[in-house]
Amino acid sequence: MAMKTDKKLDFGEAFAELETITDWFDKGEIDLEEGLAKFERGLELAAKLKARLKTVENKVEEIKVKFSDLIEDDDNKGDSDRV
Amino acid sequence: MREENGLVVYDVSEFIQYLNDTLSAIVDPARVAVEGEVSSFNISQGKWVRFDLKDADGLMNCFLTTYQLRVDLEDGMKVRVYGTPKIYPKYGKLSITVSRIELVGEGAQRRAYELMKKRLFEEGLFAPERKRGIPRFPRRIGLIASRESAACGDFLRILGNRWSGVVVDLAHVQVQGEPAAPQIVAAFRAVNARAEPPDVIVLTRGGGSLEDLAAFNDERVARAIFGSRVPVVVGVGHERDETIADFVADLRASTPTNAAELVVPDRREIVYAIDSSVSRLSKTMDSRIAQTDSELDRSVSRLETHIRRAVHRIQAAIAGFRGAFREFAANAVSREKEVRVMTTRLESGSGRWLRKIDERIAVATRVLATLDPKAVLRRGYSIVTDRQGRVVREAAGVDIGAALNIQLHRGTLTAEVLGADKSQGTLPI
Repeated sequence: MAMKTDKKLDFGEAFAELETITDWFDKGEIDLEEGLAKFERGLELAAKLKARLKTVENKVEEIKVKFSDLIEDDDNKGDSDRV
Repeated sequence: MREENGLVVYDVSEFIQYLNDTLSAIVDPARVAVEGEVSSFNISQGKWVRFDLKDADGLMNCFLTTYQLRVDLEDGMKVRVYGTPKIYPKYGKLSITVSRIELVGEGAQRRAYELMKKRLFEEGLFAPERKRGIPRFPRRIGLIASRESAACGDFLRILGNRWSGVVVDLAHVQVQGEPAAPQIVAAFRAVNARAEPPDVIVLTRGGGSLEDLAAFNDERVARAIFGSRVPVVVGVGHERDETIADFVADLRASTPTNAAELVVPDRREIVYAIDSSVSRLSKTMDSRIAQTDSELDRSVSRLETHIRRAVHRIQAAIAGFRGAFREFAANAVSREKEVRVMTTRLESGSGRWLRKIDERIAVATRVLATLDPKAVLRRGYSIVTDRQGRVVREAAGVDIGAALNIQLHRGTLTAEVLGADKSQGTLPI
């Protein structure tokens, strides 16, 4: 469920678009027809964003770090540099 | 090396080799350290490090490469040197080939920290212009921390309180002790190399002493942060703790909790922002519609006014026309009457006038007949006129000898005045 919503909606992009629309409205002097289209888009984005905020949790995945490689690497360098 | 009569004879270089073998056999660099004060510290060609390690009565020459030098040294610092004593064949000089240097005491550590900070600052690792921005809504966060640490727990807890939908790639490392620095460096490498690299990397641990935080003051870690392709947030310890890692980080968090606050927004703030966006949109839209409404009303009322005015004008014109026509009709009727009266009067008057004129002409004819001078002439009277044809009525004014015409009833005489009695008024002709 969470992943599904994730794929559908890029939160950052959607939020930025909503902000752009809001800024556009804040500028005043708006064309009624264009305004109506943007208004509808804004409401749609807001609804999606809020839905997305409700449904998802964070997920922690542990990744493997190859320490051995690095430590060997480190030692090898040390050896080669030694006089 | 050769034996002569129970005597072992070495060439010089062989002897040095023999001594070096013996020294390395008796000094285990993992178990033996020499403690002393640094003096005559020197780096040549940016690669070779030489200094003397001394105490009140002794001095040992030390040698290593800059790569092995992981702390910043200067004369007067107290250090512990790990390494192998070795004679250099060329000069016959004994020196310790250093594999590791440990700072002794808080003073030396602070000093080394200050020196490194200054050096890295000068190199530009802390430059504000290279700091990168953190995306506002990260989808994936690389977390380099110790899995069991309170710092890791705090970070994840606050992250969850504030935001959701984030995938955290946790790279578990030791954050303390000798392996910490290389593990952190490896973790940076691993996180950066992922097929889907995170939007931001968070390196965090709790507070501690200068020694506890050694990995975060390690130059290798500093360079790993500097070299990371993904922007890095460092949150170490308490607010008062400062580490080299903090300075190199793209964004410095004061604590692990603060790191979570910096990398994700607060859900409530975003909900508020969305709600306020919606209400601003609605308000603007409402007022725009109201504006259009009133514009429409105004237009309609202006149209009405215009139409009303036009209607009034037309009505006034019609009324004017009607009045004028009525007047015209009335005039026409009265004129017709007048004409009729006049005609009647003319018709009735004309007969009377004609009769009167006839009578008057008859009378005048009679009068004229009585007044005709020729009738008088017939009765014997004459009319005397002068040469100019003027009727002569008195003697005065007529000269003797003047010619006069005398008109008779029949014919005319021309006479000459012979004398005149002007008093009696008779002319003797």
